[in-house]
Amino acid sequence: MGITIGGVMRQREESELLRWRSSFVGYVIVSALLVLFFGFWNHQIVKSTYYAQRAEQNRVRDITLLAPRGNIYDRYHRILADNRPSYNIVLIRENSPHTLDQTVATLSPGVGISVEDLLDRINRRRRQLKFRPIILKEDVSVADIAFVMAHRYELPEISVEVQPRRRYLGNEMGAHVLGYVGEVTEAELMNPEFLDYKSGDEVGKAGLERQYNSILRGQDGFKRVIVNNFGREMGQLEEEAPVAGKDLFTTLDLDLQRAAEELIGKRTGAAVALDPRTGEVLALVSKPSFDPNLFATRLSVADWGNLISDPRKPLQNRVIQNHYSPGSVFKIFMAAAGLESEVLNPLETVFCPGYASFYGHTFACWKRGGHGTVGLHGAIVNSCNVFFYNIGKELGIDRISKYATTMGLGRKTGIDLPNEDAGLIPSSEWKQRVYKTAWYPGETISVSIGQGAVSVTPMQAAWAIGGLASGGRLKQPHLVNPEEIKKIGSNARELRSEQYPVHESAVDIIGRAMWGVVNEAGGTGSRARIDGFDVAGKTGTAQVVGRKAQLKGDDFEDHAWFVGFAPYRTPEIVVAVFIENGGHGGEAAAPVAHAIMETYYKKKMGEFDGDLLTKIAQTSGNKKVRN
Amino acid sequence: MAQPIASKRFSQDFDWPLFGAALLLSLTSLTEIYSSTMNEPSENYFLRQLAWVILGVILVFIIAAIDYHVLAEHIPVLYVLSLGALVYTLALGRTVSGSKSWVQIGPVNIQPSEIIKMVVVIALARYLSELRQSKYMTLVQIAKAGAICLLPMALVALQPDTGTALTYLPILAVGLFIRGLRPAALIALVLAFVLVLPVSWFFLKDYQKERILTFLEPDRDPLGRGYQVTQSKIAIGSGGFLGKGLFNGTQNQLGFLPTRHTDFIFSVVGEELGFVGVSVTLGLLAFIIFRSIYNAQTARDNLGLFIVMGIVGIYFFHIVENVGMVIGFMPTTGIPLPFLSYGGSSVLTAFVALGLVIGVRRCRYVN
Repeated sequence: MGITIGGVMRQREESELLRWRSSFVGYVIVSALLVLFFGFWNHQIVKSTYYAQRAEQNRVRDITLLAPRGNIYDRYHRILADNRPSYNIVLIRENSPHTLDQTVATLSPGVGISVEDLLDRINRRRRQLKFRPIILKEDVSVADIAFVMAHRYELPEISVEVQPRRRYLGNEMGAHVLGYVGEVTEAELMNPEFLDYKSGDEVGKAGLERQYNSILRGQDGFKRVIVNNFGREMGQLEEEAPVAGKDLFTTLDLDLQRAAEELIGKRTGAAVALDPRTGEVLALVSKPSFDPNLFATRLSVADWGNLISDPRKPLQNRVIQNHYSPGSVFKIFMAAAGLESEVLNPLETVFCPGYASFYGHTFACWKRGGHGTVGLHGAIVNSCNVFFYNIGKELGIDRISKYATTMGLGRKTGIDLPNEDAGLIPSSEWKQRVYKTAWYPGETISVSIGQGAVSVTPMQAAWAIGGLASGGRLKQPHLVNPEEIKKIGSNARELRSEQYPVHESAVDIIGRAMWGVVNEAGGTGSRARIDGFDVAGKTGTAQVVGRKAQLKGDDFEDHAWFVGFAPYRTPEIVVAVFIENGGHGGEAAAPVAHAIMETYYKKKMGEFDGDLLTKIAQTSGNKKVRN
Repeated sequence: MAQPIASKRFSQDFDWPLFGAALLLSLTSLTEIYSSTMNEPSENYFLRQLAWVILGVILVFIIAAIDYHVLAEHIPVLYVLSLGALVYTLALGRTVSGSKSWVQIGPVNIQPSEIIKMVVVIALARYLSELRQSKYMTLVQIAKAGAICLLPMALVALQPDTGTALTYLPILAVGLFIRGLRPAALIALVLAFVLVLPVSWFFLKDYQKERILTFLEPDRDPLGRGYQVTQSKIAIGSGGFLGKGLFNGTQNQLGFLPTRHTDFIFSVVGEELGFVGVSVTLGLLAFIIFRSIYNAQTARDNLGLFIVMGIVGIYFFHIVENVGMVIGFMPTTGIPLPFLSYGGSSVLTAFVALGLVIGVRRCRYVN
């Protein structure tokens, strides 16, 4: 073949070189494999505990089982608020096979929510843990559920979740007492009271729902399940059943509540009925009202906007959160203060020519021609201003202030509802503190007939009149008897009971005069009269500032008051009614008080036909919702 | 030089340890494929893989019985046929997950790009072994060798199947390195490769860019592309030293592992058989590689050496990329693990390669 020895040598060297290079490739491979080997060492030996935990979390998922809130009942155990099962469409982002955009694009047409809205909802919960469901649509229809079920395999990240939802059987009725629930806010979560809450939880926002939230709230349970990568349950490890919230039994009487609501009707106003012997609230109405059921599902922006921007402020509880000039109702307290301080002799008379002058100013009586010579009884029955101007002048503002405060005005009554207003009883000290000026004696004259700086809430009016009529005994008003709370093992505050000194004769004189207001011929409160049930009361007509300037129109109509109790010697019920721009108290407010007290009286006498009682009993026949 | 398979001589010269290692890996593969797909029995992954393995074993004996010189002799025809097959695939192939890389033959789908690697290995080995003896290759030679490999590779890349196309590169790299490159040429090629990387960025598809970004930063999209690797690492790490036991891998059984019977089969091994199982499996793969290198070095001629080293390059690339991927050391690509991943093309190619290696060894004393 002609290969030289040298050629063979070269060929041999050549082969050696190729073999050596092959070995070199082997060394490269060994080092690469060693790197891989140490990678596995690191994952499976060094970090194996960490990954074991990750694997555990991967397949075990805790699902919250929502606990229903406790029911709220009236004093006869008729249901005012309970729960119903409802369904939410939720998204669980963990292990979703789709991007958010894909998920939302498929879901949007099916549930009728725009892509933007859905993304917005998701973004608001973006920072929460990925396995926590995000609610995309609440309280969905059967059609929505069907859509999700039909797309179970295409959209494994979307599912339907059951949630007990608040239901207020009377809709708008008693809305301000019951309040409403809503999602806990970021601000609330900062509050120590909501320490064990997490974002998305439901919490009482107003009324009893807020006040007794800790009692009504249940204890959410959980279910620990094994899931596959699509979040589908493969088995269950353990379960802690949810514990329903405790029921709340209120002192409210649905029949009285309805009577008051119907009589106020579409007008703006407030009514409250108390049992002065105990402080129990029998009825509490604020109009216009709202439907708390709207809050049970997430309130739409439009609905919320309507409630907030409504100039009549339907969310405001006018019984305890608004204060008004008491008008002539205040004369009752003036009379009591006068008698107790002995500034006023029960037999004293005053001549009323229709006006009176004090400190260089003329103050008019409402009756142009004057009442002539009037005593205390007549001054109350006919509501003579001049008579009380004189008492006010004698008493002076600080004595008026002292007695009025003692009798329960100008301070919170302590009712078990949130955000109570204290009203205002002015004093020279107050004027100095707030306006940094001295009190003008002329102002006292206005205060004497319940005008000027003095203002009371309807709750205070009922409470104070009831206290006076009961001989100076003030029982803290309440919607839930502390005994009921103790019964379910929760801590309850003790009810406050006050007794201020007042002469029996003074109470008798004033009570008799108030009886006269309702029952005597020409009395301003005759519309509150009930045969057989000695109703006593006092009308009030609080001037609206614009009216003095001769402005016309509904907004400048006077506010109408009526505060009354019955029976007048041993009062069982005291009622305060206030109608905004209602006109005269005797015409606008007294009939509402009449309706409440008549219902009370009929029930007491066993004459009440109770069609409402039957109606509610039927609705509440539904079983209580338990998750 | 072809020997009847039944002869005593064939049996004596046959590389039984190498074949045994491959069989053990196939058994592991079948077990873990059974384990990872037992919840979807209708797909019959286990039985189908079993059929492929049996076919592969038969092919090992057939190929080992053929003298590789005969194959090398006919390689130009095979090479042209292969190019034709790749063009056919490009034109009429089936598209699976965005790549036109499959052709249907009867009831089965195969990926021609896999098996054609073996043709490229032999073609390149023949070219390199027939070069005039010299210490270093000339530029023209490098270019010709490059063309042999890059032409089919380009057709695969056009499918587009970048992952599989990349597996053609180690054949060329190993071949050129062993045949001999001037230090300057070696450095120039390495530099060229490094420089091409950033430029090629602009030619990558979005999903490919995304994969690379995800590799560099796995938490970038933990539910999307990073998800696979995250879940795979959880599976492997939670396997610990001894593993959770066969059929007990929770990540596997509850479906958290993606493509667990194909590309991510090694995660299942890691989870169910633990560090011990991983070490044994990696050990078997390493044994196949080093036994092959030994076979290359003891081959009768340079043709045999180049064929086997080309195969070593392919095996190595697949192993490092696939095993590196499941623990997050390498970016995610759809490159299967030889002998272990489910799939006919992958299994057949691995066994054909094995047959070639055994054939080279069998012929070492023939003279």
